[in-house]
Amino acid sequence: MLNLEGLSKHFGGVKALDQLDIKIEKGEIFGLIGPNGSGKSTTVNLICGVYPATRGRIIFQNEETTNKPPHQQLRRGIARTFQNIRLFENLTVWQNLWVAQNSKEDVAKQNPMARWFGSSAAVREEIEKILEFSQLAEKSNEPAGSLAFGEQRRLELARAVVAKPKLLLLDEPAAGMNLEEVEELGERIRNLRDSGITILLVEHVMELVMEVTDRMAVLNFGQKIAEGTPTEIQNDPKVQEAYLGTSSETT
Amino acid sequence: MDYYFGLSQTIGIHTLLGLSAYILMLTGQLSLAQVGFFAIGAYTSGILTTMFGYHIMPALLIGSLVAGFFAFLIGFPALRVKGLMLVVATIAFSQFVSLFFFNLDWRKTVNGVEVGPDSTQGFREIRYYAANGWDSGEVALFVWVIVVLVMAALWWLDRSRAGAVLRAVGEDELAAQSVGLNLTAVKVIAMTAGGVIAGLGGSLYAHSTTYVDHLTFSILLATFAIAYPILGGLSGVFGTLVAVIFIQGILVEGLRFLGDWRNLLFGLLIVLVMNLKPEGIIDARVAQLLKRTFLGGGKGGKHA
Amino acid sequence: MEDFLFELYDLIQSAADGVLFGSTYALIGIGFTLIFGAMEKLNMSYAASSFAGAYTGLAVLSYFDAPFLVVLLSAVLSAGVVSYVVYLTCFRFIPVHNHLASLMASVGMLFFIDEVIIHATNASPLAFPALFDEVMIEIGPFGLRGDLIFIFAISMLSTVALLLLLFRTRLGFATRAVSQQGVAAQLCGIDIHRTNGITFIIAGMLGGVGGAMIGASVGMLSPLLTIPVTVKGLIVTVIGGLGNIPGAIVAGFLVGASENLFLFLRGVNERDMYVMLLLFVFLVFRPHGIFSRRSERD
Repeated sequence: MLNLEGLSKHFGGVKALDQLDIKIEKGEIFGLIGPNGSGKSTTVNLICGVYPATRGRIIFQNEETTNKPPHQQLRRGIARTFQNIRLFENLTVWQNLWVAQNSKEDVAKQNPMARWFGSSAAVREEIEKILEFSQLAEKSNEPAGSLAFGEQRRLELARAVVAKPKLLLLDEPAAGMNLEEVEELGERIRNLRDSGITILLVEHVMELVMEVTDRMAVLNFGQKIAEGTPTEIQNDPKVQEAYLGTSSETT
Repeated sequence: MDYYFGLSQTIGIHTLLGLSAYILMLTGQLSLAQVGFFAIGAYTSGILTTMFGYHIMPALLIGSLVAGFFAFLIGFPALRVKGLMLVVATIAFSQFVSLFFFNLDWRKTVNGVEVGPDSTQGFREIRYYAANGWDSGEVALFVWVIVVLVMAALWWLDRSRAGAVLRAVGEDELAAQSVGLNLTAVKVIAMTAGGVIAGLGGSLYAHSTTYVDHLTFSILLATFAIAYPILGGLSGVFGTLVAVIFIQGILVEGLRFLGDWRNLLFGLLIVLVMNLKPEGIIDARVAQLLKRTFLGGGKGGKHA
Repeated sequence: MEDFLFELYDLIQSAADGVLFGSTYALIGIGFTLIFGAMEKLNMSYAASSFAGAYTGLAVLSYFDAPFLVVLLSAVLSAGVVSYVVYLTCFRFIPVHNHLASLMASVGMLFFIDEVIIHATNASPLAFPALFDEVMIEIGPFGLRGDLIFIFAISMLSTVALLLLLFRTRLGFATRAVSQQGVAAQLCGIDIHRTNGITFIIAGMLGGVGGAMIGASVGMLSPLLTIPVTVKGLIVTVIGGLGNIPGAIVAGFLVGASENLFLFLRGVNERDMYVMLLLFVFLVFRPHGIFSRRSERD
């Protein structure tokens, strides 16, 4: 589904990402972890076209998408959430979802006039369904900025999903959550995968990553230092060194 | 009575000017170029009616479309600059347009009278209304029908997905891109729409005042254009209308008795208001209050 | 061939005169850029306060018949004061994040200051003294006007003084710290309000030099100068890159030279149109300023 080949990003002299090679299969939940500054968010931003890549290629569903602008990535089926929630705070919950219906299918379903100026029952149904799924139905007319933190996270996720993505990039979705919320999030992620979405999960919260991912890669200083199943990664000495800063003895 | 008709025309025309800046501010673009499009509309329609005998309606239409066309052209380079740089670029654009018309010399003799823009002398004799027997009441009505139509269109836009998209782009460009919105398309369309509305306003202006020159289209007017939506707040079109009524009706006219001192007071008043109510006279809270007072209860539809 | 040479000489002469005059634009540009660097906001009244200083200098001249240096000094000091008043009314109390309100307020001050000048002078232009205007330095086919050289020298000296202040004094250090990281600077004990206020005073004083020098080279002061100089000052700032002082200096020379060249080529009515076009060209090719290295999208 997604191939990153030799992907690199340099900011001036700093190599934020160095020759990253990753293959994500369809229907996987793939994890990306690493200490702060290891290049996780940079990877997400590159895939989405927010930054132009310095070197390397991004191939999505057999099509090269390196350096294509972000709105086109969404149309192709790549959606993302943001580490620091970026909702449209002054728009209502409904509007946040409404403006995000930009997938190829959405565009094809209605003519431009209807899409921009009309309102169809089908569109309304879809949005209502997602609101139900995210438990946000009662807040549909509230400005997004007035939602509680947990609700905002759910809305952020809902907004990414409303465009029916094939690949969903989650950028540290568990940040600031308690254990119960993390478990709910894990459930939701698994449900999304079961509904046919491939997921790249960038995360710091180990419980979530180990629980939910099929495979994962570990970054350190912009380079991939390990790849494998959660169990393999847990026992990898290089990973332990990266996180703990020491080689050998761990109890 | 004529005086009040004239005043209402001014208010209507300035509302169009304000709305043209409003639609751009929704997308996060602070533009002082509106007065340039205003001027283009004024001169174009004026030339059509005085020099080529056009009826006012097609002249208005063509004036707005020509202004919109130039707005479309400006929309693209405007994307490359953000925030304050856009302010400077648009100031420069407006000055450029003003200077262009300052140098425009295109005269024609119609019915024995020489008409047309006369470079430094300005563009006089835009007497369509008088020549066709319109009295000031009819002109005022004409202006306001147009203004109400534009306001209705924008009000309706605010309730549509297009309106939400404009505001999404204005709020957070990165998020907007990431949900699939094409920033370039949205911003250029907004700029074009703003240009059309400003051109419409300018066309009406030229015919109401019968005389325009480059001095009319000054930075002062450009500032008025953005002052209205800033003061009125961006919650809805009514804010801009209220701001225009406040500034043109109450301040400009009401303080006329101050004569020369009025201009002094004007600058200070802006400073005062900005310090006391930096979010605008009709900010979100005031808008809610007004809505509740006049429309009775927050029935809130699916709109901000 | 001879005609061509004469044309060429005229062009070079225009450009040279323009560069010398452009040093005053550089000052105005630096002022805008200093304030932008400190507060990330535009002070639209900057040129107006600069001229207010120049007018005060003129007043000192007519009431006390003071020597040029005193006139200049009073212009500088009063411009600094006016600039500080602008700081208080437009930037000190308006919330930091609200760029629009400060912008509008500074526009209000621009109108106010302009109106005060109009009222005080009955809107008529006033003659401004020039020094060394009799002098002409001949270099081959070119002549450098003494008064322009003088203006250039004063402007450049002021710029050097400013740079010394910014980079060699604790005050300047505080200013730079605040402009780069306001919160961190505060945490280090720097009083952000005092520092910003002082930035405005310093920028104002620099502007006072600029206003006086513009008056000296044009030979007069008039309220009609305010808007054009504001616009051109902004153009200099943008071409030089917002917050970029060396950029503003170079851009000042560039705008001054171009302006004079356009004047020579197309006359005074069309001159400014081409200056605007110059801005657009820069915005298309170098939106972040002459010295910017950012060519990729953020």
